[in-house]
Parts: sequence; C-alpha cells; structure tokens
Amino acid sequence: MNKYLTMVVVAIMISGCASTRLEQSRNANTGISADEALVILGRASYNDRQTEESFTQCISDALAKGENPIRLISQREFKDELYPWFEPRVAPTSAEDLAELFSQPGVRDRINEKNVRYLAWIDGDTITIDQGGSFSCTISSFGGGCFGMTYWEQDASYEASIWDLENLTTSGNISADSTGTSYLAGLIVPIPIMARPGNSACKGLANQLREFLVDAEV
Amino acid sequence: MKVIMGLVVGCTLTGCTTNVTVEGGVPTPVVAKMPLHVGVYFSDEFKTFQHEEVIEQAGTWKVNLGAQNVAFFRNLFDAMFESVSETGEPPLAESEAERFDGIIVPRVAKYGFLTPQISGLNFYSASIEYEIVLYDSAGERLGSWNVVGYGKSEPGVFGHGDALGEATMLAIRDGGARIATNLADQPEITQWLASRQSGHTEE
Repeated sequence: MNKYLTMVVVAIMISGCASTRLEQSRNANTGISADEALVILGRASYNDRQTEESFTQCISDALAKGENPIRLISQREFKDELYPWFEPRVAPTSAEDLAELFSQPGVRDRINEKNVRYLAWIDGDTITIDQGGSFSCTISSFGGGCFGMTYWEQDASYEASIWDLENLTTSGNISADSTGTSYLAGLIVPIPIMARPGNSACKGLANQLREFLVDAEV
Repeated sequence: MKVIMGLVVGCTLTGCTTNVTVEGGVPTPVVAKMPLHVGVYFSDEFKTFQHEEVIEQAGTWKVNLGAQNVAFFRNLFDAMFESVSETGEPPLAESEAERFDGIIVPRVAKYGFLTPQISGLNFYSASIEYEIVLYDSAGERLGSWNVVGYGKSEPGVFGHGDALGEATMLAIRDGGARIATNLADQPEITQWLASRQSGHTEE
C-alpha cells in the first residue's frame, strides 16, 4: 500500500499542472478515408519566433496512432516533393491562394499522386512568461547537495488552420492555449515538478484535429 | 546548458574549431522549364566556398558550403531550363558559345550566421546572398540579380554544428526557391527570354 502511495505522490510531484483551453471553428463538412493523407506543416517566419519542429512532430505522432489513425505524409517529404512551393517565403498564406498554386505545372499531379486531402498549418510557439526564485548546487569533499527553489511559467499557444485540397477551401480552425508553471526544488537532491504546456497543447490539438477530420458533421 | 558551458570552457582553453559540413536532400523543383539552352559556369570559388569566422568564447567556425551549393544548383537549373551544360568561364569560344542561348554564373556574394549565444534567440540562423549573373552567348554581360536566402534551426533537435548546417541548408533552399519562382520575372531575364523566343521564331 505504501509503495502505491509513494508512486502516486512521485507521479503528482514530477508532473506539474498545465491548464489547456481548446476552441474550434468549422466552416465546412469534413471526412477523410483511409487512403487519403494529411500533412502537418509548421509555419516558419523570419522574425524571432517560429513553430517548433518538435511540436509538429508531436502532433503527427499522436495522429498516426490511436483508435482512428490518420495517414500522414511527413512535412519534409511533402516539402521536397513540392519544392519550391511550400518553402517559408513562397508557401500560400491562405486557402484562397491554392487555386493559383494548383495552376502551376505539376503541382496538382504531385498532390494527387500522394493523395493528400488536407493540410493543417500549425502556427504558434511556447514561451516563458514568468520566472523567478533561486537555486544552487554545491559539491565538496564532504559531499554536496542542491538548495533553493526556482519556477518558470510557460504559455503554449498554437492554432491549426485546416485546408481542404479537394475543395480548395479552409475547412476550419482549431486553437489550443495551455499554461503551466514548473518548479525545481532543491532538498539535497533536486526535485523537478514539470508542467509541460507544450505537450498538453499538442495532445489537445491532436485529439481535436482527429475529431474534426473524422467527424463529417457541421 | 552543461553542453554550452563545456563548449565555452573548451573553446576558451584550447581555441576549438567547429567544422560544419552542409548536407541535405536536393529536391527537384516542380516548375515549368524555360525554353532555353543555357551554359552554367561554376567557378572554383563557388565549388569550394568555405566561410570561416572566429567568435569570441565560441572558437573558430568553418562552414563548408561549396559541394552542397553545386549539387543544389545543378538540380535547380536542370529543372528550370530546356537544356543545361556546364561550361568554362565566359566569354566562350565561338564554336562552344553557339550551342547556348546564354550563360549563367552563380556566385556567393555573402554568407553569415548567428548562434543562439549571439542573437539571444533559441536557434541558429544563417543567410546566404547569391549573385546570379547572366551573359549572352557572345559573352556580354546582360545583367545580374541578387537573391538572399534565410534559414534557422533549433539546436535542441540537432547538435550545435548540425544545427548550423541545417540552418544553412534551409537558407540554400530558400534562396533556390526565390530563384526558381522569380528568375523569369526579372526584367533582364524577361527581355532575354523575349529576344531568344523571337530569334527562335525567325529561325
């Protein structure tokens, strides 16, 4: 009994709390068959922020597994197949640009070959909005240890814009906003209590995206 | 953090050198071919281009771009023009020049990069400026066009040298994308295309 209690306490301590808010807006019916594919693309810009590759990979991994796995084509493979049309400064910025893109020789054929039905553009990032405390570790010939406490609060804010490549329209948007505070306490040994808002936003967005694509109702 | 501290201490004590070799896939552009037979001259400077920079507390960085640039541009030009052959430096001998509608000479005008320690951001960034010079078949310079490509990469996903290599590869791709999509719209190129097409029609 004590062993289980300890495990529960340790689990609570190492996984801090992140609260996530999800919002969805749908413009059209959706639906995806088993042979149709989805591509998750991260928006890159040349300012000081961009959607992390690890975040888009996290969503892809989550969607490829589970009860209703979705066929995915990797961002890298898709960008190579359609080079240069999905490079950061050339890529279409709205679904209205798709018609013009599809008029380029070879583009529609490549997309049809891969049977890509939807693109999900992910825009956003995870930033540290507050931090403080003090924490230090020392080591000497008599031993060592860590003392103090530090914390940092992170905000993960992402939006997915889903484009239907069959109808050349925006099917809808899903946003995920997650915040959480992580702590690192030093009581001889360092004890991390990690909130992972980026991970929470990824899981929330992936679940919502799966429901959005598989559920055909408006 | 430990890795950065280790690198900083190591570099301070020994003056370390980070060799970055730029590698990556060479995608074939999906673009309409221009109806032109062109020669391309890759100078030795272009083929072996290496950027070397000493950064205080981060040692010497040597970035080798040459091989990747050549592989990338070979593929790029092959996709953009009806036929492409590598030539010597213009002007060419008349017998060779008559095979071509024109000669293209790419050059690296500038290359630069920022590490997270310098920029204070979470990624390595790189920029590369290409100068694309166009000559007619007689070796007369028709014009030039400068294109800048940008790329950035998170060090968390790759090692430090690998992250800069990836950022540089993305900068080459970005520059290549601009060339593939905008070259035909440059006034000198438009004029050249029109003159060649009217020449072909007359023939």
